[in-house]
Amino acid sequence: MEDLQNKLQAELDKFKAVGKEYHNAISQRQVLDGQLHENMGVKTELDLLKADGEVFKMIGPVLVKQELTEAKQNVNKRIDYITNELKRMDDMISNLDAEQDKHKEKLATLQMQFQQEQMKAAASKA
Amino acid sequence: MSTKEKPEMQQIELSKLSLANLTQLKKQLDQEIGVYQDSMQALKLAQTKYGDSKEALEKIQPDAKDSRIMVPLTGSMFVPGTIDDTEKVLVDVGTGYYLKMSMESAKDYFKRKVVFVTEQMEKIQSLGMERSKIRDAVMGVMEVKIQTQMASQKPPQVPGVST
Repeated sequence: MEDLQNKLQAELDKFKAVGKEYHNAISQRQVLDGQLHENMGVKTELDLLKADGEVFKMIGPVLVKQELTEAKQNVNKRIDYITNELKRMDDMISNLDAEQDKHKEKLATLQMQFQQEQMKAAASKA
Repeated sequence: MSTKEKPEMQQIELSKLSLANLTQLKKQLDQEIGVYQDSMQALKLAQTKYGDSKEALEKIQPDAKDSRIMVPLTGSMFVPGTIDDTEKVLVDVGTGYYLKMSMESAKDYFKRKVVFVTEQMEKIQSLGMERSKIRDAVMGVMEVKIQTQMASQKPPQVPGVST
């Protein structure tokens, strides 16, 4: 009986830990998604910029002039990086999702066992 | 997370769900509606910001050259200055990039941004409405369930109220 309870508690803790990780992954994904959109916006603006336009990049407290081609390259690089990160996040999220389901199942069976034990104990007392 | 599958799934199963499940569903929907409302507010803010910037640009006419202005260095401190260039402005386009562009391009940029934000707002509004509708349906089913449950608990008093 006690053994089962300990097992149940351990499984519950594991389940909760996975849940937390899952939430973290989701919010990280959202941040990345936002960054991707922002970079996409910058890219369209850079593409739309006329020949007489100039590009500045804020580095710390100063604005540094940058070549348009260089800026475009940088933004493209960032977009690539973020897209890769997003993919990695998606994989991680689906893995965590599967893990969560597994834990949920285990938890359910353990809970059933626990209840049965409890009933048995109650019946033997009565 | 996807918007496609949810409504159908819920419409089919609503009456079959247990009260506990329904409560959970309602909580989730409430949360989603809250997120949409927050986004709406953020978008509204962005919309006015872009609108204001565009308006400020309209005020800078070519004849404003050399006019005296007060330049805010911080939120509470200003220094006198003169407008040197009325042809070009520097626009923050995000991720630390600033583009120097002509008046027309800048106005065009803000116009596009306002249109974009407005479109997003419309999208979110319709999504939020959809969620509200589902939430209302869930609440309706919950009410019926609670009533039938109550009626079954003390049957002899009232001959079952159904809506």
